[in-house]
Amino acid sequence: MIIKASLATLAILAFTGSLGADQPARLPEPAARAVDFHKDILAILSNSCAKCHAGGKQKGGFSIDTRESLIKGGESGAAVVPGKSAESRLIALVGGLEPDAIMPAQGPRLSAEQVGLLRAWIDQGLPWEVGFTFKKTRSAPLEPRQVAVPAAGPGSNLSNPIDLILELYFVSAGVTPTDVVDDRTFLRRVYLDLIGILPAPDEVDTFLDDRDPAKRALVVGKLLSNSQPFNQQYAIHWLTFWNDALRNDYRGTGYIDGGRLQITDWLAKSLVENLPYDQFVRQLIAPTPESAGFVKGIVWRGVVNASQVPPVQAAQNISQVFLGINLKCASCHDSFINDWKLTDAYGLASIFSDGPLEIHRCDQPTGKFAPMQFLYPQLGSIDDNAPQADRLNQLAAVMTAPGNGRLARTIVNRLWARLLGRGLVEPVDEMDNPAWNQDLLDFLANDLVEHGYDLKHTIQRIATSRAYQLAATSAAQSEREEFVFRGPEVKRMSAEQFVDAVSGLLDIEYEKAVVKPAALAVPTDAVAKRAGARAALVHADPLLGALGRSNREQVVTDRPKLATTLQALELTNGTPLSTLLEKGAKKWSESAAEPAPLIEQIYRRALLRSPTAAESEVAREILGAPVAPDGAEDLLWALIMLPEFQLIY
Amino acid sequence: MNMNQRASNWNRRDFLRTASAATLSALAAGDARQILAAEEEKLRATADTVIVLWMGGGMAATETFDPKRHTPYEKGLDPDRVLSTFPAIDTAVDTIKFSEGLERTAAVMNRGTLIRSYTAGDLGFILHSRHQYHWHTGYAPPQTVAAPHIGSVVARTLGPLNPAVPAFIDIGQRFDVGEGEELKAFHQAGFLGSEYGPFLIPQADQAAASVRPPHGMPPGRFENRYQNYKKLVAQSPIGQHGSDHQKESLLRSLDNAHRLLSSPAAKAFDLSLEPKEIYDRYNTGQFGLGCLLARRLTEVGARFIEVTTEYIPFKNWDTHDNGHTRLVDMKAMMDPPISQLVLDLEARGLLNRTLIVLASEFSRDMMTEGRPDQQVKNQVEVPKVIEELKYYGMHRHFTAAGCVLMFGGGVKPGFLYGKTADERPCKTIENRVVIEDLHATIYRALGISPKLAYEVERRPFYVTRDGLGKPIVDVFA
Repeated sequence: MIIKASLATLAILAFTGSLGADQPARLPEPAARAVDFHKDILAILSNSCAKCHAGGKQKGGFSIDTRESLIKGGESGAAVVPGKSAESRLIALVGGLEPDAIMPAQGPRLSAEQVGLLRAWIDQGLPWEVGFTFKKTRSAPLEPRQVAVPAAGPGSNLSNPIDLILELYFVSAGVTPTDVVDDRTFLRRVYLDLIGILPAPDEVDTFLDDRDPAKRALVVGKLLSNSQPFNQQYAIHWLTFWNDALRNDYRGTGYIDGGRLQITDWLAKSLVENLPYDQFVRQLIAPTPESAGFVKGIVWRGVVNASQVPPVQAAQNISQVFLGINLKCASCHDSFINDWKLTDAYGLASIFSDGPLEIHRCDQPTGKFAPMQFLYPQLGSIDDNAPQADRLNQLAAVMTAPGNGRLARTIVNRLWARLLGRGLVEPVDEMDNPAWNQDLLDFLANDLVEHGYDLKHTIQRIATSRAYQLAATSAAQSEREEFVFRGPEVKRMSAEQFVDAVSGLLDIEYEKAVVKPAALAVPTDAVAKRAGARAALVHADPLLGALGRSNREQVVTDRPKLATTLQALELTNGTPLSTLLEKGAKKWSESAAEPAPLIEQIYRRALLRSPTAAESEVAREILGAPVAPDGAEDLLWALIMLPEFQLIY
Repeated sequence: MNMNQRASNWNRRDFLRTASAATLSALAAGDARQILAAEEEKLRATADTVIVLWMGGGMAATETFDPKRHTPYEKGLDPDRVLSTFPAIDTAVDTIKFSEGLERTAAVMNRGTLIRSYTAGDLGFILHSRHQYHWHTGYAPPQTVAAPHIGSVVARTLGPLNPAVPAFIDIGQRFDVGEGEELKAFHQAGFLGSEYGPFLIPQADQAAASVRPPHGMPPGRFENRYQNYKKLVAQSPIGQHGSDHQKESLLRSLDNAHRLLSSPAAKAFDLSLEPKEIYDRYNTGQFGLGCLLARRLTEVGARFIEVTTEYIPFKNWDTHDNGHTRLVDMKAMMDPPISQLVLDLEARGLLNRTLIVLASEFSRDMMTEGRPDQQVKNQVEVPKVIEELKYYGMHRHFTAAGCVLMFGGGVKPGFLYGKTADERPCKTIENRVVIEDLHATIYRALGISPKLAYEVERRPFYVTRDGLGKPIVDVFA
């Protein structure tokens, strides 16, 4: 029987002790100190309540998953009155005031001290760890999954499996994709996406004149071929992507006293040779001296937080980069944002450690140690007793085991995001989130593995799809709750793409390269010369920094998408760009005395097209007649500030 | 002059049109989500602007704002006898003494609060930039996410005071003078996004160039260049295809930049507009001019300004030798401009809403490296007997007590907080203040809760470590 009397009455009765001998004892007093949700409360909730009321379970309609649901209570009304524990039903139940409904219903009753803590917690306003929830988070399947690629519909000329999969998607989602872009837009996009630079005007002409219906696929093939200069340009372009992800920079914290190593030479060679991705990953996890920088991490002198010692950095970074797993929270305490536990993080970190790695919880030693183990032990075991080098080889093998579908899914998703502006899974570092098209993700992952982990193959697969060739859509769309794919998103040039495009337009080397990997020896032919020193190979400076080049103190897998005021200031009056423009304008203005041909050439180099009549008129006004260097400088500035120049449509 | 008067100094129209643009840009930038603790009291701000005067390199407390027994130099000194190498002087407050050489600042002590019990982070090894990172972000490096500078947190949380002035301005630090990478690691907005990063003015006397058209470009041409640009945008075939998010963001950012550069507030950056007599009063070098620039920027509505004496390894406050003689120079450099800044802000009616915070990453001592109960590896040799003047001074890095001097912004006038031992080790013995409490105090003055958090990677990042900072309520009037 459920007692219907009001809780307040009950509480008074309990305190006065006026009921019979078998009546409940009075409530314990609230603890007389400030309670800490994490230290004092979480254990009580986890041990005594969670089994029936958390993680999606809500016996009696009552869930403690969130602070809100806990207060709200269940079928019999509010469970808690914040600030008033004596009036809170939760306390009445755990305090035994309702003999027929004592909580927990199973297991031992709460001690007086525990009830006192819960009372104090409620009296103090129910402080809750921001973001904490008992809700189970989604775990994406680990295994690879074969996808039956649908056959082309009647009358369809689609053949790329990406398009065949998406054809079904468009129909079932009731979505009409955007139209395929024109040749000029396509060529600009594919050059920037695949090799990071603009095509030269003659390359544009040749492409536009080409009547071969397969010309788009052919140009993709050319850009991804291992012939020069394209292979080198490809390597330099993707070097930036991997420098960000593997936080490889040419200067930065840690280098001051040997606490950090570059992997630039190794990385450049891997890209030039298109090292299969599984080998790439293995060489980063079980490194040679040339590739050791990534798992070595960044070491600052002095005592660092236990969650940032090098083996823990390594565990966090390989999880994030290779698997899209956030292990950062779990490196300090059992994670609130996913299901990873402190022991999972230390199990992985210990593999990298020279000696035993004591588990620290929130920077406090626990006296405990975690058995060495990969996050997914089903993929293979690590021998605790083996020397470190052997363990790292075992870990590398487990990471690249055929059963680890997540490794391939994570990288193909990153490539898709690079080329189409948004991942199949977002954010790209949270691969437990659902994909907007699981079939496509699984297909691309298998396709990569079946082609020997050849990343260029996947890039080619994507770049030759019709999906890739669709007209770009506004990024604002992706902020809607339910993402719908209609076509790629408009992308912003990266800092490196912008600077390379500008120095190409001005025919001036931006800065001297500060790294000279042997694999990127500068070729001599004319086309390659344009790619001589590229921004990927120079130190970060105020211009590159303002345009979003990350400082690589942390792993970065996504650059800021939108423009900022500080960045616009740098573009408007910053010294690096002004100096470059001044020099470049001098060259341009000396190349032609007449405005018309000059305008034509500048437009073709910058925007890959001729100016319209209206544009010519404005440009002529800017240039002056005869052409003044100042005029040329201002025209060049205006053109490179245009959205048409800075964005990838 | 009060706040309303200050507002009238700005061009109202300029203010309004820039305000809407700045707000839009913040909304569109995909900012880190703000998380407030569930029951948050509404805090009343006592300051609108913060000026941090940064004594980079380790300012010895016993040689500046916490003098102890003076031991004059003589050959054959036992270093352990030496606590202060300067005599103490009176200040405008009977109970507070300063060290000789700070007479002018002493004369304005009745406008401020002195904290003597700041206890620096215990980071196991003394590395200036690491402790500076800790001071400026509240977190010890490295961190799993890019921790923002306190100026960026303020910029993100409160936005610009006058939208035509960057919200966070950092004056006086160059990054090519040693430990530059370590310094860059905290001179940034981190995960909050570069919109909130510092507007860097490495040299105060060059500030005007940072808000002028590019070198050699007359203002008329600069304005034409932008007008013509807008014509080309309108003519661009892409421009005629309607709008997209990225394009809007790009155009808006350029618009903001041009508004800022053509705003009347931009004149505040130009020190040549200051009357010569006043300029000379401040001009003890880059730091003095930085203080003048800070005053001018405060007048036009800057939100967060930091002026540094500049950290250069083994230079300025980083006294590994000749501590006594070098401090004579350092004091001569800081004393006139700091006192002038206080007086000028007061005369303009701005001091009561401007919080000045003078601080350093740690203090110095002749004997102890680190702290008495946890010494770390000595980095400076101290002879058993001092036979040369170069050994006379506080050369080791001391973390167990240090001074923070505050003026205006709601702090008590003529107030002393915290106490240190009068004999070595001169450590904190009363009212210990740690960085999260000092940050909480600065945030409190600005009306920001120490429990405020921003979401990054789905977890909260608190503006004071774990939301634990407790403002020192005693220092507020």
